[in-house]
Amino acid sequence: MKTFPYAAALGAWMLVSPAYFLAQNVPYDRILHSANEPQSWLTYSGSYNSQQYSPLKQINRENISKLKVAWIYQPSKAVSNLEASPIVADGVMYITEPPSTVTALDVRTGLRLWTWSPTLPEHVVSIGLYATSRGVAILGDSVFIGTADSHLVALDAKNGAVRWDVHVADNAMGYAMTGPPLALKDKIIIGSAGSEAAVRGFLDAYDPKTGKRLWRFWTTPRPGEPGAETWGAGAYESAGATTWNNGSYDPDLNLVYWGTGNPAPDFNDDERPGDNLYTCSVVALDADTGKLKWYFQFSPHENHDWDSDEPPVLFNASIDGKPRKLLGFANRNGFYYVLDRTNGKFIAGKAFVKETWAKGLDENGRPIPAPNQEPTLGAGTLVYPSITGGVDWTSPSYSPDTGLFYVSVHETGAYFIKGTGKIESGPPKGIVGGGGIRALAGEQSYGAIRALVATTGERKWEFKMLAPAWVPVLSTAGGLVFSGTDEANFFALDASTGKPLWEFFMGHSARSNPISYEVDGKQYIFVTAGDTYLAFSLP
Amino acid sequence: MRIGAPVVASTIKNGMSGGMPAFGGQLTDAQIQQVIAYLLTLTRKDSGTVTGDAAKGKVVYDASGCASCHIIDGQGGDSGPELTKVGALRGPGYLKTTLLYPGSDLPQARVFLETGGLLDYMFIDLVTNEGKTYDGTRVVEDSFHIVIRDAKGNFHSFPKSDLREFKKEPGKSVMPSFKDTLSGAQIDDLVAYLASLKGAQ
Repeated sequence: MKTFPYAAALGAWMLVSPAYFLAQNVPYDRILHSANEPQSWLTYSGSYNSQQYSPLKQINRENISKLKVAWIYQPSKAVSNLEASPIVADGVMYITEPPSTVTALDVRTGLRLWTWSPTLPEHVVSIGLYATSRGVAILGDSVFIGTADSHLVALDAKNGAVRWDVHVADNAMGYAMTGPPLALKDKIIIGSAGSEAAVRGFLDAYDPKTGKRLWRFWTTPRPGEPGAETWGAGAYESAGATTWNNGSYDPDLNLVYWGTGNPAPDFNDDERPGDNLYTCSVVALDADTGKLKWYFQFSPHENHDWDSDEPPVLFNASIDGKPRKLLGFANRNGFYYVLDRTNGKFIAGKAFVKETWAKGLDENGRPIPAPNQEPTLGAGTLVYPSITGGVDWTSPSYSPDTGLFYVSVHETGAYFIKGTGKIESGPPKGIVGGGGIRALAGEQSYGAIRALVATTGERKWEFKMLAPAWVPVLSTAGGLVFSGTDEANFFALDASTGKPLWEFFMGHSARSNPISYEVDGKQYIFVTAGDTYLAFSLP
Repeated sequence: MRIGAPVVASTIKNGMSGGMPAFGGQLTDAQIQQVIAYLLTLTRKDSGTVTGDAAKGKVVYDASGCASCHIIDGQGGDSGPELTKVGALRGPGYLKTTLLYPGSDLPQARVFLETGGLLDYMFIDLVTNEGKTYDGTRVVEDSFHIVIRDAKGNFHSFPKSDLREFKKEPGKSVMPSFKDTLSGAQIDDLVAYLASLKGAQ
């Protein structure tokens, strides 16, 4: 573990910024009322509703053309793509570096305040995933990280000292944590990846003070439990439905919303007849008990690797003149869904990219399957969207100013090839089941930022990109939408029209949530480019 | 032995006993597709037999202006692919087809996309907002910019917002067809010469 004394390093700033030392304490009330402190970024998506929206507007349509790089942070050792969304509180930014390092930065300069790395086993199992961390959670004076070898660790926010470290799941069996934890009033919620290793998914809650596990919700049922009838005999043993990204929380309903991954094995459904609950779903859990309140399965009996692990977006809007509590989800299967988040009832749904696997959605939002769209042996079956879906894990954004839902879409298909491998007992050696895809040539694919009317999924505008991109979206009260291209452009669009207003070539594409924060009266936009973190501001 | 892309993908993903490690954890499916796409660009395109005279073909090569765009053993222009080892990479049938119909089987550019696809070789016509026209092959492109290389080998870089017209011409090559300018015998001789180029080693 490497740390250096926080106070000594920051002593000089105390004179100009006494607030620095008063803070590093983010109680639940601050996260609950994050809208009251737009200068901070306190959860993965900025708030419990996962809107990826910043109320800051110093940077806006009129001055965006002047946006410049303010500082750059490069990790101390070379890493691959950074995918972490930072947490910003009281002048300090908490980021992660692959696989599981936590680093605290000075938000004004990018200078490193402290860094902590776990002692990982020599061989970390990461099957079907890239061993990275999408960020930390903060609560009180602790930050929390899920590690590549499936530990949940609490660190002192001021210096990175370990407060507690719990072993959540067996990495040797394929459990690996990439998603950020979500901090509630008195719980740290965390899931795990591993569907490609055929692990059984779960979502856990831990005591922030002690690390004691308070509840666990298994995302696939055992015999005798509700939903068990949606699996073939024995198939539930290794089932998937992993929870490898961040979720959302409605404090009034006290419900945690989390997306789940694909069933195992992928591309081969021979041994798992039925809908395979609760794979490719969003589950709503009672935050106190972890009990299932409702679920909505986007892709019953899924067979194309279309996980549903994007953070669910919570927003309130009128439907037929009545105010409703809604949940918006641009699913990897190519459909955008609007659900009533109090009960999971389907309200509206519409394809937001070209899709060929379903003829549409029925009145309950269940897809009506199209014929001959399953993976086949040999050359495979051409299906739209591709394995990466209409959008994969990269967060969309909802702006309460425009009522639009912004999503970076993949317009492409692929030939899906059936797998023939079986699930074996014991530690997995690789992706279980085999099969895969053959991608279309580059010119046959493209990407776009699409603005959907959040209550209906109707397309308002699009900004086309050369290739499908893997960059989440941020919208701001400045009337801007930030995202990036696969070719490494980072850009801002007019949130109302989609017109490009600013662009910067970063040399490598972004893979993290663009976020915004403010310090000393100056607004920053922050994103990654490959293995680099960049902060932008006005001159 | 010929094996298909799915088998190669599975091998890269899961490894082989006794040697090759499984890359499934380190590479995403899309990255594995990129590796396969790259491997496919290395494939020798082989067909046909040599019927002409390589020595006569060299005379045709020198007289037809080929060297203005192609390098052989360090000599020539570089706007087209180098031909020093073309005989090792391309069979006589492919070479003949390319001389007659240059756009019929264009290579894919080595611009990798996360989806696993490749950008195609692409001929571009464009007109700037000031009314200047340019054409050439795509060197690189992103959502906001395009860089092309003209027939003389010069690079031209444009923000797309500065372009009034931007046209992609799939299947069009910058190379002229020699179907009407060389005789059948001359084509066969030229093919024989190119097929004989296997590089110094």
